[in-house]
Amino acid sequence: MDIRIPRLGEGADNGTVISLFVKEGDKVEKNQTILELENEKAVAPIPASEGGVVSKVHVKVGDRVSVGQLVLTLSGGASSAQPASASQPAPRPAQAPVQAALPAVAAPVYAAPAPMPAAPAPFAYQSALGIAPPAAPSVRKIARDLGIDLGRVRGSESGGRIVLADLRDYIQYLQAAAFSAAAAPQAAQAPASVPAKPAAESIDFSKWGPVTKKPLTSLRKKIAEKMQESWNAIPHVTQNDEVDVTDIMQWTKAYGPAYEKQGAKLTLTALILKACVHALKKFPVFNSSLDEATGELVFKEYYHLGVAVDTEQGLIVPVLRDIDKKSLFEISRELGEIAEKTRQRKVSLEELKGGTFTISNLGGIGGQHFTPIVNRPEVAILGVSRGVLKPVIRSQKLDQRVLMPVSLSYDHRVIDGADGARFVREIAKAIEGFPESEIKLGGAAAKKSEEPAKAKTEKVKAAAGKGKR
Amino acid sequence: MNPIQTDIVVLGAGPGGYAAAFYAADKGKKVILVERENRLGGVCLNRGCIPSKTLLHGTKLIKEARESEFRGITFGEPKIDLAKMRSWKESIIEKLSGGIRSLAARRSVEIMTGRGYFEDSKTLRVETAEGQKFIQFDKAIIAVGSKPAMPAAFDLGNPRIMTSTEALEIEEIPQDLLIVGGGYIGLELGTVYATLGSRIVLVEAMDAILAGADPDLVRPVAKYAHEHFKEVRVKTKVLKMATHKKQIQVVMDVDGQKKEELYDRVLVSVGRASNSADLGLKNTKVQVDEKGFIKVNEHQQTSDESIYAVGDCVGGVLLAHKASKEARIAVEVITGETSVFESLIPAVVFTDPEVAWCGVTESEARKKGVAVTTVKFPWGASGRALTFDRPDGMTKLVVDPETERILGVGIVGHGAGELISEGVLAIEMGATVSDLASCVHPHPTLSETLMESAEMFFGHATHSFSRSQHKEESAEPQHAS
Repeated sequence: MDIRIPRLGEGADNGTVISLFVKEGDKVEKNQTILELENEKAVAPIPASEGGVVSKVHVKVGDRVSVGQLVLTLSGGASSAQPASASQPAPRPAQAPVQAALPAVAAPVYAAPAPMPAAPAPFAYQSALGIAPPAAPSVRKIARDLGIDLGRVRGSESGGRIVLADLRDYIQYLQAAAFSAAAAPQAAQAPASVPAKPAAESIDFSKWGPVTKKPLTSLRKKIAEKMQESWNAIPHVTQNDEVDVTDIMQWTKAYGPAYEKQGAKLTLTALILKACVHALKKFPVFNSSLDEATGELVFKEYYHLGVAVDTEQGLIVPVLRDIDKKSLFEISRELGEIAEKTRQRKVSLEELKGGTFTISNLGGIGGQHFTPIVNRPEVAILGVSRGVLKPVIRSQKLDQRVLMPVSLSYDHRVIDGADGARFVREIAKAIEGFPESEIKLGGAAAKKSEEPAKAKTEKVKAAAGKGKR
Repeated sequence: MNPIQTDIVVLGAGPGGYAAAFYAADKGKKVILVERENRLGGVCLNRGCIPSKTLLHGTKLIKEARESEFRGITFGEPKIDLAKMRSWKESIIEKLSGGIRSLAARRSVEIMTGRGYFEDSKTLRVETAEGQKFIQFDKAIIAVGSKPAMPAAFDLGNPRIMTSTEALEIEEIPQDLLIVGGGYIGLELGTVYATLGSRIVLVEAMDAILAGADPDLVRPVAKYAHEHFKEVRVKTKVLKMATHKKQIQVVMDVDGQKKEELYDRVLVSVGRASNSADLGLKNTKVQVDEKGFIKVNEHQQTSDESIYAVGDCVGGVLLAHKASKEARIAVEVITGETSVFESLIPAVVFTDPEVAWCGVTESEARKKGVAVTTVKFPWGASGRALTFDRPDGMTKLVVDPETERILGVGIVGHGAGELISEGVLAIEMGATVSDLASCVHPHPTLSETLMESAEMFFGHATHSFSRSQHKEESAEPQHAS
């Protein structure tokens, strides 16, 4: 009886063993957690697919394993040795192919604009007669101009004929492999034809004083890769503004205890999430994605908002689903739960996917405006900083208000500056005019059910009212 | 005298030279084309391809008229006016040569008539009728071509011992003509003279005529030669020639036996030699090999960075279309492209019937021990071939059995030279047999034989029946149309 790494979720087919809970001779039950796998942004507990006595452990902590890889051999066991059911992943030969090492781009809606092409198996054309690989003279000419050896390109047409599309795929693969080579050392396993990216020169910092070296965690690498990718692909613009949160701060103080009584923490973030959905509905382009492959803008009719969570290991962005359909109380509770789960790194990969817009709230730490990086394939992100009591002149009278800096970064390919400003104003107005009735908990159960339709109209009204003030 | 400045000077106005000059001018270069003869076009136009094909057309008429009696068409004995035939041939050459001149003028390519001589790697001296001129060039392309080789032992200074140059002038129709060399020149001119009425003995040192072509493609040509020439002798070497009154006395070794005979004329067609001598190459860094061919790389660059060379003078197959392609490569490299010479060069022999091939030949694959599958479609099964009574043809594909890619095409038969280009396209495009079989070919044409041979590969050619697939031995084409 063999236990293998099951399929972990889309785009995630490998990870590092960070803890191992069984040793040889142990008895394991079916579904008992046998090891934990650190995988991009999550730590996944791996259950035993069958029960039995461990006769051999094939992995150790620190091993990089991929889907289908053998981890345990069980002997005897109470379980009837059934062949793997259809729902189980077909065991694949253990391998650490270059494909597995490549970044898995989480693309919930559609294939990412520039997905990593499947790594071609190393290929070398040979001809005893010294004949050039089968390709039209025009294709050969292009390859020559680009310095591509056609003998390395596998042709997709009959007789192995290489067409322009094959050449394009090959070049894209080379480019992606070269790009990921820096982030993933595994790229060293890429075929010999992949020109290795010149290694970044290592500086000996110990010349100037003592140093400590720590390898990058896989999460750190993933963040680095993701940020680089977003930064490279998206022309960013950041629009700053300030939101008057004096009133809602008081309300959160006032209603906070009631929430707490029911096991939820009322935070400004939850309120901002709601306000954002209101603005997103008014400006659907901020809830869209650019499909570079088809040249289409994909408008999403759902509102799944990512919330950046600061964990010990680094930034993780879990996604809260259907914000538009949930009450502030539900959001508050969910937010608390998922943030905690994320900090403990128990959040699943699925819970990190499918976001349509992201909020990064640094208010708990302090600081002023900053420039968040858009979480591709989303097109905008709202950065929130700590509100500060400031003197404000209104109607020629000096007043003191708590002003919260917000910074909206957006993809200028999709969104123009004027809309960026309008959108951030809309968010500000929605926060400032957040209806007290939505915060109040009285008769929550009855209210919840009618929430979806009602909330919208109420909010719009409220916002409009604020505007006139 | 101030030297003339130019971007590119091209030396020689044959199919390599004028192609280079025109292409360079089209790419915006200032070009001077230097030609020692008054008439442009080089050997191809003046003493090669064009005059020989003109004469072959004339003699084909004689032959067809003669052989039409059984078709119910009878002509009288043809009267041949050699002078008129020559001037007809000249008129065609004149027309084509004039065409090149006017194309040059329209491109503002300056033509300078005179011998060119390299003073150094940047200067060409030209001996023109108006005196010496000096050209200072950025790049030079040498395209001086080749001339018929005449071994010293045969060079008696007797006009009855001819090369192709003289033979194409057809001063007279000799009664007994010896042709030394069984290559394409000897066979093409032999065909002309045989039809005009000469008794031809053709001798070849090797054991077969048309070395280089697959034996099965040569067979119909050999058959024709055996029928229309007095004799074809292989493994035969000419040992000595001497003037004997109005004839030439020839001593030869025919497969070990000595023979002494008298001929009215002798055509020596034993190969061609590069015209690279007397160009002043010693004043440059250009290197030549032991046979006098200029050494070039795949970019047509000589050892001298400012000098390129194309065509017959660099060796390889001595064919006009090879020269023209090399010319384009040279110009592209000069203008900064990354071109290399990698094209396959089709060969055509304008015998009767014609032989043409391109890509890998069956013999070459066998020699290199590479497994290939061949399919052969005999023209006896081609309706079109039967309409003009020429079933003596065959279309052959050389195929990679693994990928089914077409590696080579060989054709023997009437008009093979026109048919071969489809094979070139198929090979250059990396086509498979199935690609060729899927293309509809018009009926009734000879081009169908290409499609049908491709179908034969799969064992389902319409006009051929094969008991076991993929084995050409068992394919038995049937007459039908």
